Amino acid sequence: MAMARGALAQSGPIKIGTLTPLTGAGGSYGPPMVKAMRAVVDELNAAGGVLGRQIELVSEDDETNPDSGVRAARKLIDVDKVIAILGTWASAVTVAVAPLCWENKVMLFTVSGGDSITRLPHMGYIIRTQPDTNLQSKRVVEFMLSQGVKKVGYLSAQTPFAASTYDLQTKMLKDGGAEAVGNVIYDATKTSFRSEVDEALKAKPDALFLNSYAPDLQVLLRDLYRAGYDGKRYTLGYAANDKLLASVPQAVTEGLISYAPSPDLDSPAYKQVQAAVGPNPDPYSCQTHDHISLAVLAMAKAGAATSLGIHDDVRAIGDVAGVKVGSAAEGLKLLAAGKQIDYEGASGPCKFTAIGDIVNCKFRFDIVEKGAPKLLSLS
Amino acid sequence: MLTELAQTLINGLLSGAQLAIPAIGFTTIYAVLRFPSFAVASHATIGAYAGFVANVWLGWPAGVALFAAFLVAGAFGVVTDELVLRRMRPAGPLTVAIGSAALTIVLENLVRFCFGNDQRGYDLPVLRDWRIGDLRLGPEQVEAAAAAALAMAVLFLFLAFTRTGKMMRAVADNPTLAGLKGIDANKVARLANFVGMGLAGFGGMLIGLDTAIDPLTGFRVVLSVFAAAVVGGLGSIPGAVLGAFVVGVGEEASVLVLDPSYRTAVGFVAILVVLTLRPRGLLGERAY
Repeated sequence: MAMARGALAQSGPIKIGTLTPLTGAGGSYGPPMVKAMRAVVDELNAAGGVLGRQIELVSEDDETNPDSGVRAARKLIDVDKVIAILGTWASAVTVAVAPLCWENKVMLFTVSGGDSITRLPHMGYIIRTQPDTNLQSKRVVEFMLSQGVKKVGYLSAQTPFAASTYDLQTKMLKDGGAEAVGNVIYDATKTSFRSEVDEALKAKPDALFLNSYAPDLQVLLRDLYRAGYDGKRYTLGYAANDKLLASVPQAVTEGLISYAPSPDLDSPAYKQVQAAVGPNPDPYSCQTHDHISLAVLAMAKAGAATSLGIHDDVRAIGDVAGVKVGSAAEGLKLLAAGKQIDYEGASGPCKFTAIGDIVNCKFRFDIVEKGAPKLLSLS
Repeated sequence: MLTELAQTLINGLLSGAQLAIPAIGFTTIYAVLRFPSFAVASHATIGAYAGFVANVWLGWPAGVALFAAFLVAGAFGVVTDELVLRRMRPAGPLTVAIGSAALTIVLENLVRFCFGNDQRGYDLPVLRDWRIGDLRLGPEQVEAAAAAALAMAVLFLFLAFTRTGKMMRAVADNPTLAGLKGIDANKVARLANFVGMGLAGFGGMLIGLDTAIDPLTGFRVVLSVFAAAVVGGLGSIPGAVLGAFVVGVGEEASVLVLDPSYRTAVGFVAILVVLTLRPRGLLGERAY
């Protein structure tokens, strides 16, 4: 178990696992995330693979559910013997799967935002391309304050980041001269939130932060509309997605503000994701594109198609003194020629702290007008 | 405080009315076929999607779409019973119950395969609540409650005054005696499935009207539906209605004392309490 994964299998394909939500609350994101990764793998395999071996992606569905996620991870680790697992989305799934990964010394690349994830004792086996709650909360509170809100109420689905987000933002709001007036945590599987809405509106907030997933947000927005709430509403970009906007009447979504970490729209890597997934790729597909690219480049730099290789060299391929590269194919060529590279991905600069968090990325704020999102700010 | 209690009561009664229809469907199947059919979850989903197709793709009004939801779900109920569950009946009710749980998973994924995971909505406007003093009343919820009441009335007339309805009651009451009288048990079983699952589908669309349509629409309420039927007394239709109101009001009231995230616990607790203290439920085990 302590041996570096893959050290024994020196020939045959390099197996990398993907664990994404193909069904469940995150079900609209899993498939494009896998598509983005497959596109990279197909391109690299056509050019000869990495370290002389082909790459094989083994894909499993975590069903946006920790129990299923753990079962799938067990299968990937024990049966398929993958050297890395890429793409876990929901924080609850990542928190459940992470110990399996670090105990078996398998690299885990995740897009989950829950703060506790990188604070786990993972010994360097977790890389997270999504800004953590700290960075996300900082940026959204700055934005809310810039819009002049005074009393912010919170409605949160039950998740690992529900309480921590509230505590963080309460402090940040206070520092900015506003206040948080209560957090109503709800069971996201319920079909009606009338009582929860009543409770949240008791404190008469002028703004609400809806810490939701898409299915419950749909119900929440309707119930808020029915309750006659006319104040500001802020929510996460992954909840207020295109599909929700298409299936909820315009009157109900008008004025909803959503924010999301933004991919690096100008980067060459972003164009590759567009080619694989469509003209408007979601941020997660951009991140998983980077996951597979980082894993492959790190392996090549280490000279070993093992989990330990990725673990040791994933930061070394982001050497700011090196040649800027925007794709794994380009990077592999330069590494083979003995050069230092600086990989910058579709999701951002991909520079990681010691505990695996990204140092920075761009954020976008959109407002819904007539059923479509309109960009308010991108920085 | 009084306002809060009054609002809780109103919310509870309206959500209970929504639960009542699938609960009646569940209990009807139990009454005639003597097993708890967890497949009501997927049939509720199928009804919600059938209504979606009728309303959004074919452009029919909500009332007609509700009727379509009933018919399509009922048809699925009969077909799946014939193909899947009937064969398990000789092995006993527990086996059929487990089979129905498996069936519901398969049907849910069939829906997912055809329609995808994305949420859908009906082509109907969302209306603001009516305000009476400090109390809120949702017009759509009142409409749903009215539709539920209408469905219950039609069912009552069917069971009390039509020949087929009486046949169903006879089999539910005493299958052996009904068999001696020459009533075809299979025919009644099909009818019970059609009516029971049809009601589940009707209820599924009512839920979808209030909330959202996605493959998990029916699954989300199956625990509350089961609790409603158990509390009222498995096999008793008036019991299912009463149980639905009890569970509906109970879930709303729990928000006053507990965190809203514990709402689901009400269903579990209700089932535990009833089965421990009064297993036949509030209105007994007898069918209508």
